[in-house]
Amino acid sequence: MRFLRRHPILISIVLFFFATQFISLRYEGRQVGDSFSSFILTLTYYPQKLIFILTGEIVSAWQNYIELVGVRNENERLRNEIRKLRQEKFHLWEAELQNDRLKKLLGLKGNSTYDVVSANVIAGSPSILRSQVVIIDKGSENGISQGMPVATYEGIVGRILLVGEKSSEVILITDDISAVDAYIHRTRARGIVKGTGGGCIMEYLEKKADVSVGDKVISSGKDGFFPKEVVIGTVVETEASGGFIRARVLPDMDLNSLEEVVVILKLPKEKVLNE
Amino acid sequence: MNRLYQIIMFVLLSFLFVILQSTFFSPKHLGIFYPDLNLIFVVFLGLFSEVKGSAIIALGNGFMMDVLSGNLIGLYSLSRLSLFLVLKGLSTHVYAQSRITQVIGLFCSTLFSWGFIWIGLKMRTDFRISFGEIMAQSFVNTIVGLPLFWLIKNLYARVQA
Repeated sequence: MRFLRRHPILISIVLFFFATQFISLRYEGRQVGDSFSSFILTLTYYPQKLIFILTGEIVSAWQNYIELVGVRNENERLRNEIRKLRQEKFHLWEAELQNDRLKKLLGLKGNSTYDVVSANVIAGSPSILRSQVVIIDKGSENGISQGMPVATYEGIVGRILLVGEKSSEVILITDDISAVDAYIHRTRARGIVKGTGGGCIMEYLEKKADVSVGDKVISSGKDGFFPKEVVIGTVVETEASGGFIRARVLPDMDLNSLEEVVVILKLPKEKVLNE
Repeated sequence: MNRLYQIIMFVLLSFLFVILQSTFFSPKHLGIFYPDLNLIFVVFLGLFSEVKGSAIIALGNGFMMDVLSGNLIGLYSLSRLSLFLVLKGLSTHVYAQSRITQVIGLFCSTLFSWGFIWIGLKMRTDFRISFGEIMAQSFVNTIVGLPLFWLIKNLYARVQA
């Protein structure tokens, strides 16, 4: 201890070099799902869930009894109805386009369906360095495993990064290391949707591709993680980028205020996370 | 027995701060103006704690931060341990009870911590946090840190008594 007190700078430099070596190793062969990390995740689950339930109860009581009681319920009902109608409208549009395509391409396979597990978002990342991470209250005991896609009924949210027994960590599509193989829904132009830390951009769209503001972006299902034809977001801006077009994509839901999500029980084709 | 109580108190406080940081004080909701309760706690350990296991508590606190934020394991663990050791080394040369020392300690510790992470990560990947944001966080940590120090010190004194 006396040595530590006498040579703090030296110790710090040694630790720093150790850190850079350690970090580089982790980047090259990261095994996220180690059991000690899962244990920490499970350990923090109970207090996080308790805080989630308590704050939920307090907020709910405030909204139900102190604020306008009837209006809140009505608002909730109407919002659900709008969500359902939007979903229906999108499916009809989708069916119409699909119908046209199928007229030309006979023998195309239909989409397969997957089981889902619904979950509550109980916490967020404690670090600004990777703030696009949330913690949900379902884990391996609910059949969740690493790499499974996470969505809401409005579109893709992200995928499972780390699984504990009772809770899991979800990395959002807006995170720097997220990438989804995607199509422009209207024209089937293909590209990669990447996270930028707070939003998303669609890259590698061919220069001749027909992309315009307002186009819906959907998953292609070819990356091995996400199922085919799930909504990612809407194009809000396009620009030329070298020999390609780059489009800024706004997710259809507010990822900063996520409350409920569904985990799609679909195992990734390859268990690679930091591709 | 007192030492055991102190260790238990620090372990519980470390756990509590990680939980609070991931729920009420998550940067996901507060943006860059979030108080880094865990960093403040490590600064407290470095300046005031006489408990021998404090280095392990600082390391464990960083490890929990790494796990819950989906970061590379080692990033916070080693930066927090390094910060603790530097502060421990310096604490014998300064009057830690002075408010000015605490203010400078909190401010510079935030800069040190980010500097450590910045240099470590810059070697491998992008680092998206600007200097202005780091300065803003240093101010927030300093403002929140002083009353938090007072609270932990009172608790610490009770356990020591």
